[in-house]
Amino acid sequence: MTISASAFDYVSALALRETSVVYGPGKEYLAEARLLPLARAAGMADVDAYVARLQIDPAEQRKAIDALTINETSWFRDNAPYQTFTDVMLPSLIENRRHTQKIRIWSAACSSGQEAYSLAMLLDEHLPLGWTAEILATDVSTAMLERVESGRYGQVEMNRGLPAGLLVRHFTRVGTEWEIAPKLRNMVSTRHLNLAAPFPDLPQFDVVFLRNVLIYFEMDVKTDILTRVRRHIADDGFLLLGSSESSLDVERHWTRETAGRVQLHRPVVNHPRPVAVGA
Amino acid sequence: MTVEAPELWDVLSIAGEVWTSFIGPDEPLVPAGEEAFPVAWSGAVSVTGDWSGMVVVEMPEHCAVAATSRMLMIDEPSQADVSDAVGELVNMVGGNVKCLLFGENSLSLPVVALGRVTPPGDAVEVCRADLQWSEGPLRITVHSVAQSGVTS
Amino acid sequence: MKALIIDDSRAMRSILRRILGDAGFETHEAEDGQVALDLMNGGLEPDVCLIDWNMPVMDGYTFVTQVRHNQDWRDVTLMMVTTESDSNRIVRALAAGAHEYVIKPFTPDAILDKLQLLGLFTEVPA
Repeated sequence: MTISASAFDYVSALALRETSVVYGPGKEYLAEARLLPLARAAGMADVDAYVARLQIDPAEQRKAIDALTINETSWFRDNAPYQTFTDVMLPSLIENRRHTQKIRIWSAACSSGQEAYSLAMLLDEHLPLGWTAEILATDVSTAMLERVESGRYGQVEMNRGLPAGLLVRHFTRVGTEWEIAPKLRNMVSTRHLNLAAPFPDLPQFDVVFLRNVLIYFEMDVKTDILTRVRRHIADDGFLLLGSSESSLDVERHWTRETAGRVQLHRPVVNHPRPVAVGA
Repeated sequence: MTVEAPELWDVLSIAGEVWTSFIGPDEPLVPAGEEAFPVAWSGAVSVTGDWSGMVVVEMPEHCAVAATSRMLMIDEPSQADVSDAVGELVNMVGGNVKCLLFGENSLSLPVVALGRVTPPGDAVEVCRADLQWSEGPLRITVHSVAQSGVTS
Repeated sequence: MKALIIDDSRAMRSILRRILGDAGFETHEAEDGQVALDLMNGGLEPDVCLIDWNMPVMDGYTFVTQVRHNQDWRDVTLMMVTTESDSNRIVRALAAGAHEYVIKPFTPDAILDKLQLLGLFTEVPA
């Protein structure tokens, strides 16, 4: 064990203050293991040196907080939303966007990127020839955005919900990790964004995945976020929330449609929504 | 990307994933100094093919027992339980190390010994990871056997 | 649902037995591919087999090939659970008729995610 008692005390207080995660006595190894990759990336000799740097470097502190927070996510999480994406959302958009042949998706609170790349895999398979898709992945954590950009995942992460056929089709083994194919990585761009603050200049999206993140905000902030998301979604677009978040009181700007096991939110429009002609 | 010999960081990352998956999510492995400990249990797997060698995991008694207890969720593991658990741990570490190495290779079934196992006489230690978890130390070593040209 | 766990490691069989048992599966075990074939020839009808690759007597790849050659077993779902993680191996196993592939090490959730993907398990909503 190399982390000193004082360094551990600092880390433990930081984790508690910023994430409510408890690193109590006996969790020294855990803290050290989570921080070691960051220490190594920052060119530090050991975790103690890294912890000393944390106390004066807010950007690095942000990364450390991310690393100390347990992040569990899987590919095609919950399956049903992705099934609905392929069966309902995509056919509707392919009909309505046939003049521009372009689809824009926002993966909000993208975490380590499994959602964005799961969507990229589906688009690669189902988008007609000649169409393009752009997926914007945003997160409040720059460390997470760096992970999305690297497109690399460990063995244990790869096992979580990714069909083996897609693994061999879209990933290459690089050392102990797997790297996503450039074709899919190029579909995804990243941007730092705090959902609770005013949005930067964003385009209009056709589909917004805003799953399992609103639960962390107070009610008035949730409502505010949903109001602001409305401004960046096309009139005939789709908003997807987490399965436990669909019952949110969102009547003013959104209507709900049920597609199988999934609740889709559609923007409320004052003029009639464009309907596919000749269907 | 395949290599002649795995680096310490690769071995740490592989063994770390094995530990957090099977011993417990809060049980990561960290590098430690070269601490001498009495090796009570060893597990070894051989890799043969374009690359030849051996991956060895060594643990003191209490570590092997504690790891078995966590892995199999039993309070007082028997010697047979410890042997099985050490065998599966080295199988998982060795299997993933094998995938880093160049060429087509196959993995042997694991061998578990009370005490140390001796790598083949012509084997060279190419990677050594002295690690530590909450129950104590363990060591993972990778030994390469030089491939001699086929003569007739 | 019946699951047949095929692994020469008693430790791994015990881990998988616990995960599948907790998920409501009736579990059966075999220490190699031949023992598993014998159980199935003797009347065991598993819904899913979880199969290690490297085993003595008959390895998992051979077992998959044998099961796929018998029409009576066409509905049996086959999932490899192995340390073999080269892309080539995964492609070979899928081509031989395996439906899914889990690389060791795995977390219990990974096994359940895959079973859900295969339509063999439905997570009880929290």
